[in-house]
Amino acid sequence: MSSKVQAAPHPLLSLLRLPFTVLFAVFGFINRLRANRAGFIGFLGLLAYFILTFIMPYFIPFDSEVNLDEIAGPVGSRIQLAVHRDNNHLRSFEDLAGKTVGVVDQTGGPSLIAPYADSINIEKYRWTSRRAGPGVRAALIDLANKEIDAMLIFSKNVAELRADSEDPELQALLAEHIVISNPELGPPHLLGTDTQGRDIATHIVHGGRILILTAVIGGVISTLIALVVGSLSAMIGGAFDAAMTALSNLILAVPRLILLVVLAGLIRFENTLFLGLMIGLLGWPPLMRAIRAQVLSLRERDFVEAARSLGLSTYHIMFREMLPNMISYVMINFIFAITFAMYEQIALLVLGLAPIDDYTWGVMLYFGRSRGTLYNVDGASMALSPVLAIAFFQVCLVLFARALEEVFDPRLRAAV
Amino acid sequence: MALPNSDLEINRSGVQSPVAAVQQFIAAYPIHKNYYVRIFVQAILTIWAVLTVTFFLVRQMPGNPIDVLIEQILTQEGISYQEAYDRVAASFNFDPDATMLDQYVDYVGDLLRLDLGTSITSPGTRIIDEIARFLPWTIFAVGSGFLISFVLGIILGMMMAYYRDSALDHTLSLVSSFFTGVPNYIWGLLIIIGPGISWNWFDVGAARGTYDPGLTPGLNAAFIGSAIEHALLPIITYVLATLGSWMLSMKSSTTGVLNDDYVNVAEARGLKDRRIITAYVGRNAMLPLFAQLSISIGFVLGSGVVIEEIFVYWGFGHYLFQAITVRDYTSVQGAVLILSSTFVFSNLFADLTYGLLDPRVRISGEK
Amino acid sequence: MSEQAHEAVLRVEDLSIVYRTKRGDVKATSQASFDLHPGEALALIGESGSGKTTISLALIRKLPKNAVITSGHIHYQRDGSVQDVLKLSNRQLREFRWKDCAMVFQGAQNAFNPVLKVRRQFEDTAQSHGWTDKAAIRERALKLLELVRLDPERVYDAYPHELSGGMKQRTLLALGVLLNPQIVILDEPTTALDILTQRAIIDVLNDMQRQLRFSIIFISHDLSLAAEMADTVATVYAGEIVEIGPVNDIFYRSLHPYTYGLLTSVPTLGHMQDHLQSIPGSPPNLINPPAGCKFHPRCGFATDACKKEDPPLEQDIGTHLAACWHKDRLLESRKEPV
Repeated sequence: MSSKVQAAPHPLLSLLRLPFTVLFAVFGFINRLRANRAGFIGFLGLLAYFILTFIMPYFIPFDSEVNLDEIAGPVGSRIQLAVHRDNNHLRSFEDLAGKTVGVVDQTGGPSLIAPYADSINIEKYRWTSRRAGPGVRAALIDLANKEIDAMLIFSKNVAELRADSEDPELQALLAEHIVISNPELGPPHLLGTDTQGRDIATHIVHGGRILILTAVIGGVISTLIALVVGSLSAMIGGAFDAAMTALSNLILAVPRLILLVVLAGLIRFENTLFLGLMIGLLGWPPLMRAIRAQVLSLRERDFVEAARSLGLSTYHIMFREMLPNMISYVMINFIFAITFAMYEQIALLVLGLAPIDDYTWGVMLYFGRSRGTLYNVDGASMALSPVLAIAFFQVCLVLFARALEEVFDPRLRAAV
Repeated sequence: MALPNSDLEINRSGVQSPVAAVQQFIAAYPIHKNYYVRIFVQAILTIWAVLTVTFFLVRQMPGNPIDVLIEQILTQEGISYQEAYDRVAASFNFDPDATMLDQYVDYVGDLLRLDLGTSITSPGTRIIDEIARFLPWTIFAVGSGFLISFVLGIILGMMMAYYRDSALDHTLSLVSSFFTGVPNYIWGLLIIIGPGISWNWFDVGAARGTYDPGLTPGLNAAFIGSAIEHALLPIITYVLATLGSWMLSMKSSTTGVLNDDYVNVAEARGLKDRRIITAYVGRNAMLPLFAQLSISIGFVLGSGVVIEEIFVYWGFGHYLFQAITVRDYTSVQGAVLILSSTFVFSNLFADLTYGLLDPRVRISGEK
Repeated sequence: MSEQAHEAVLRVEDLSIVYRTKRGDVKATSQASFDLHPGEALALIGESGSGKTTISLALIRKLPKNAVITSGHIHYQRDGSVQDVLKLSNRQLREFRWKDCAMVFQGAQNAFNPVLKVRRQFEDTAQSHGWTDKAAIRERALKLLELVRLDPERVYDAYPHELSGGMKQRTLLALGVLLNPQIVILDEPTTALDILTQRAIIDVLNDMQRQLRFSIIFISHDLSLAAEMADTVATVYAGEIVEIGPVNDIFYRSLHPYTYGLLTSVPTLGHMQDHLQSIPGSPPNLINPPAGCKFHPRCGFATDACKKEDPPLEQDIGTHLAACWHKDRLLESRKEPV
């Protein structure tokens, strides 16, 4: 009856063809996308994010070693070597062999110094203040007086201290005798270090995977529920439709983020998976309404009428006639659902209402904010890096989804 | 029956069956078919549904807040169970000996008198007073942000449609993707980090709260100026976060309207450009945006919780969040109810506006 | 012809229009020339895509953005002064539209702004042309609505969606003559309407023209409508006017095989149906039109001459002109039984 009744190829044969079909589809898709420059950039961006968050973690270890308490190193920061002007030739760890080196209790990058601990004499100074207390100053004075040969300092704040000392005499003394011999000792930090002296770049690499997975789970759940409930409501109608519409209205009556915040506050989400589930369970009503409306309108279209008059089953009509007409719309909304899920879970993280077991971008942001790094230009990287990572990820998703909208049927969106 | 008294007849029939009277009334005045009546009733029903669900959820949930609270008071203060129970009941504003249904009736009765109970964590504080203190600020900030972005989005979206495929269109498209993609709290943080801290354009600390301390609220220039100053950052954030989607929706609907016959005919009729752009293109292109209004209002209102935390703006979101962190259930319950009522009524307002703009809706009652 | 030039309210000369498309220039109108006299009803007939609508859109300069007028003049005469429509400034053009030349588009279903009352749309039109007295606008509008046989009070205060298709079409006609234009262009005024409504519209149009004395250009593929309403008929084929003349001459003594083909493809009441035939082939590609006479690939009379040279639009008798090398053979053939 239908034109699809052709000589069916052997199942194995069609299986063999599958990879090629997929390859062609992907190729054709990318080709069509290239016409839309913004969308193509979004697509490339998403690929880059995939590599960054799913592949790079295997090559770049998570820096969990606490180096410096309370000091957020500025972007590109390394340990600095300060010496007396007379010892200007000292430039590397090798040069320091046998010398007496001042290290302030919690500054100076213990993990970086550790390999050389046997070859140099370490003189410790007690750390007392929050940023650059008397410990640093005492060490600098000792250095100026040649009591120690060199000093390992972290972060440029100490370099500033040499110039900014409140005591003019001291300032003159330090300026006269101390030079920063090697401002780049040890490995650099691409994005600086956080409030525990850990490398932020490695955290960015590791901090995206779980967030993205949770967002995808949330998106999948809400899209699936919306698709199933929406089409069933439209196809069955009656009491089911009324009940589902009422339920969706009820969920929509409270702003979604409020609902999540309240639930998170009351229930305390224990793990990330549960968070994704909750986001999905609360997120389906808008899409469900749209899909319901679309199925209702598709039902009236000629080709569905034709299928029905041919006596084809509801199953056939749903999956063969209607779904192909909605699939692009559903896909696009799936991507938007991911952005919403991402938005919501990070909002919860920022508020401290979501589990912080995994050190994700959201958790970095939460600590970065709650530890006040935002208010210091040097330390802002701890909050700014995840902020930018999240922002660009979301923008890539939106660019990609919008490009899909244009590539696929643009009428569908206008019809809702 | 000697004297046929028609007045009596009517009276009697009215007494006999009030249902019939209502039916007669409805038949005579089909108010249920009136668009405005319908959406109003719908809004009331939605709020009723929310408060009912909240009521039973709070009381029936496994490990429900009431039990948790009683437990907490018992362990902390070592008083008898009954005492603790009474105290919690008093906070939650219900008679512990009454049946669930009676409690529910009482609760709804109290609500109708705008009595939302008292706070658990600070006893004696009436929740309705707290809400009256915080809610106006959120409505002010969210409302202005929403309005500005809606108007701006409509203008920019129409420009994009009129100059379709020009450099302007492409630039604005990209910009709108950025606005939409970057979460609003991220915009908030970026505003703090960039202009606030790095470039020192304004004092982040001074922008906390809703107005400068020491000013008397009222219609004086200093207070209003201060209120606007404090709300400015949240407003900018709300605008940035919603502008993109308005722009894009307006662009696509304007593009559609520009191809419509009546615009073409209006040009052939020699109408002035301004009249065509406003009354013919703009007004029609705006209509589809109202379908998104509800979701967008909910989004902005909801995001208030995070935005107000980030900017330390003492609005309703801040109040709700504080209540959640100290587990002040009665306050949370009242806040959610009021917030969803605000949301439902702003949707109602949007629907009314839509009804004013589109005459077709007033008749059929369907969007 | 020269005396008549003074009379003509509209004189189109040598009008050529191309659409710039990705695949090339579509020559939608080539060297069209015709006169329109006061009170005259001119019908432009032809198949879809023949360029009828392009010509009419050019008259009020409402062509799509990719259209370019490559040559020609459109002289419009009012109160003794003559202007070239193609040279009007934007402001003059806006004033010219509807006040001097109104166009009733096909498919009046969507011709009205759905969110404004009919009254508002009448007022908009009048006010844009400097007429601000609302009471006077109302008075005239009600009179016109009555003329198109509508319930004036009800329609004037209605929203467009409260009117039926036929009512909208008639309302648009009333709106068309609101400013008392000299020319009214009707683009397929009766398509998409049921037969009874069509009838009513034609009656209304005839009535109105008698009373208000404007000139009509109407575009149609409905030959019976043309026969009933037009004083003059012009046949358009592939963007060219191939025949133009008084309605009776065109119908009973057509000199172009295409016009003749159109006529014989229409069933007529009271005639045997065995006369009915269609024109073979399809309209030519206007990006690369055939050389010579553009109709030759579909013409039964075509000879080598037709393939080489485009026949000029030549006068036959009186004001009847046709562009064909074989007018005589066509006339001969019609005498023989088919």
